[in-house]
Amino acid sequence: MRTNGIPAVRTERVWKVFEHDGIRVEAVRDVTFRVEPGEFVVLAGPSGSGKTTLLNLLGGLTRPTDGRVWVADTEITALPERELARLRLERLGFVFQAYNLLPVLTALENAEFTLLLQDVPADERRSRVEALFERIGIAGLEDRRPAKLSGGQQQRVAVARAVVAGPALILADEPTANLDTATSEALIDLMAELNRELGTTFVFATHDTRLMERAQRYVRLVDGAIVTDERREGWRG
Amino acid sequence: MKAKARIRFRLALRNLRRQRRRSILSGSAMVLAMALLIFSRTLAEGGHEDWIEAGVRLGSGHVALQHPEYQARRTLEFRLTSEKREAAEAALASSSVAGRVVATAPRLAVQGLASSPSAALPVAIVAMDPASETRFSALQEDLSEGRYLEPDDRLRALVGTGLAERLKLKLDSRFVLTAQDADGQIVGQMVRVAGVFRTGIPEVDEGFVQIPLATAQEWLAAPGAVTGIAVLLRSSHDVGSAARALRAALADESSLDVVDWRRTMPELDAAVRMDDWADYIFHIVLFVIAATAIINTVLMSVMQRTREFGVLRALGLERGQVGRLVFTEGLFLTLVSGTAGVALGAAVVWIFFRHGLDFSAFWDTEMSAAGVVIDPVIVPRFHWSQLLWSMVVMLGIGCLASVYPAWRATRVDVAEAMKFDE
Repeated sequence: MRTNGIPAVRTERVWKVFEHDGIRVEAVRDVTFRVEPGEFVVLAGPSGSGKTTLLNLLGGLTRPTDGRVWVADTEITALPERELARLRLERLGFVFQAYNLLPVLTALENAEFTLLLQDVPADERRSRVEALFERIGIAGLEDRRPAKLSGGQQQRVAVARAVVAGPALILADEPTANLDTATSEALIDLMAELNRELGTTFVFATHDTRLMERAQRYVRLVDGAIVTDERREGWRG
Repeated sequence: MKAKARIRFRLALRNLRRQRRRSILSGSAMVLAMALLIFSRTLAEGGHEDWIEAGVRLGSGHVALQHPEYQARRTLEFRLTSEKREAAEAALASSSVAGRVVATAPRLAVQGLASSPSAALPVAIVAMDPASETRFSALQEDLSEGRYLEPDDRLRALVGTGLAERLKLKLDSRFVLTAQDADGQIVGQMVRVAGVFRTGIPEVDEGFVQIPLATAQEWLAAPGAVTGIAVLLRSSHDVGSAARALRAALADESSLDVVDWRRTMPELDAAVRMDDWADYIFHIVLFVIAATAIINTVLMSVMQRTREFGVLRALGLERGQVGRLVFTEGLFLTLVSGTAGVALGAAVVWIFFRHGLDFSAFWDTEMSAAGVVIDPVIVPRFHWSQLLWSMVVMLGIGCLASVYPAWRATRVDVAEAMKFDE
C-alpha cells in the first residue's frame, strides 16, 4: 500500500542519548529511516542495540535528543503532549512483550479501550471487537479477565486492542518473546494476515528468528545505528 | 454518563477491589475516623445545646430585645418604656418571627442590696411575670423549699439557698431589697420569702433574687417598663435567622436592640467556643489519620502500577486523564468508606446513646461552668449542618489525599514505565 508517497513513519538523523550518574549512553545514533505504508518491518539486533528505543521514538513514547521524527505527515519531535496522545490514540497501535492488558478489565473491555477513547458508540465497539475476536480465534473469551487467559490468548487480545481502531501503524516490541513456538507462529500468521488484508503497517523490535524470517524488511541495529536494511522481493508474508 | 467517565469509574472501582485487603484496611481508618467524628460532634452538639439552653433559660434568652445601651450600662435609665415594650411584643408576634419562638419573658433587672437583720449582700434583682416565666425558666424545678411565684403574688420573693443561708432567711422570712429607681432615687422594698431554690451555680444561689414584675415596676417608679424581653427559641441554631427576622421587624425602632446569647452571656459563649476548639483539634487528628490512610492506599497503588499507567499513556490517554483516573480511585475510597463511617457513627449514637451518655461516674459533685450547671448526662444531638459539614470535610480529605498520588501518576515516563519487569 502506498499513500501519496508519504511514509508511515520516518526519522531524520535521530539520536537518543541517556545519561545516568555521569555515564552517557547513546541508545540510538544518527538514524535516518523510513517505513512505507503497508510494510512488515523487523528491527533486529543484539540486546542494547537500540531496537526498543527506536520503536519508542517512532511511537512518540520518548522524545529524541536530536533529529526529527514524523508519523505520516505529522512531525512528532516536539509535538505537545496532548496532541501526541491524540496521535497515538488515532494513528498508532502498540503490542508489548508482556501483553500489558489492564488486569481489571475483561478481554472485551481491553480490546475496545481505544475505541472507547475515540467515542465510538457501544454497539459498534462491541460488534467490531466480537468480529475481530472471531477472526483471530479468541471468540468466547470476551468476558474473561487477563489472569484467566493463556499467554497466547492475552497477546491476541493485545493485538486486537492494537488493531481494532484501524491504526495506520502498529509498533510491536518483542510480541512473541513470552510465547511458545506454536503460539508464536500463530500470532505471526495473524499479524501477517492483518498486514495483508488491512494494509496495516507493522514495525517489530524482536530477537525472534521466526519473526525475522517472515519479515518483508529486515533492519539490523548494532550499538544504536542501522547496519543492515534489506527488503525481500516477492515477499508474501 | 459518558462512556469515558463510565470506564474511569469502572477502572477506579475495580482497582480498589483488586487490592481488596489494602482498600479495606485504609477504608476502615476512614470509617472509624468519620464514625468518631459524628460521635464527637453529636455529643458536643448535645452538650453545648444543653449548656446554652440552661444558660438562656436562666439568663436573657437565645435573643433579647432591649435598649441599645442597656447591655453596657445596665441601669433603669435604659429601660424599655411601655410603648417600646409594646413595639417589641408586636415584632415578636409578627408572622416572620412568631413561628420560631417557643416562649418569651419580660423582665426588669437591677443591681441592688438584700438586707436582713443578720447581713446585707449585693444581689441581682430580676423581676418577672410568673405566668410567662413558668414557660421560660427552669427555676421552679430547682426549688428546694416553698413554692414558685404565682401571678397574684405581690410582695413575695424567690431566693437561692446560699443567699438564704447568709441572710439567715427561712420560708416567709422578711427581708429588704434596696436599689436605684428610674428617677435615680435609692428606694427600698420589703418582701417575704416564698421559695428557696438551689441551682448548683454559686453565683446564682448566693446573688440572685426573683420578685414579681408588677411589684418591681411600682417600687422602682417604672410603670409598664421592662429592661428586656428574653426570647426562647427551638434551638441555638435558630438564633441567626430569628435575630435577622426580629431586626427586620424592628427596622423602624432605633431604640430597640436585638442581642443574641453570645453577647448577653460572653462567658458561656467562650466556654462553648473553647470546647469546640478542643473538638476541632481532635478532629484534625482524625482527619490526618484518614488522609494518611487514603494517601497510603492510592499512592501504593500508583507505585505498583507504573507500567499500567505507561500502557494507558501509550494507548492515547492524556496525562490529565491518567491523573483523573487515580483521583477517582481516591475519591471512591473516601466516599464509600466515609459514608459508611457517617452511617456507623449515626447508628451507634442512635442505637446506644439516644437517651444520653452518663458521665456522672467521672465527676461526683455538681459541676458548673460559665454560669450553667453541666448535666452529667449528655444526650447527643444531630443537626443537618453537622452531617453536611462532615460530608464536606470527608470529600475535602478525599480530594486532598488523592491529589498527590494523582499528580505522581501523571508524571510517569511512558518509555521508562515499559522497562519494568512484571
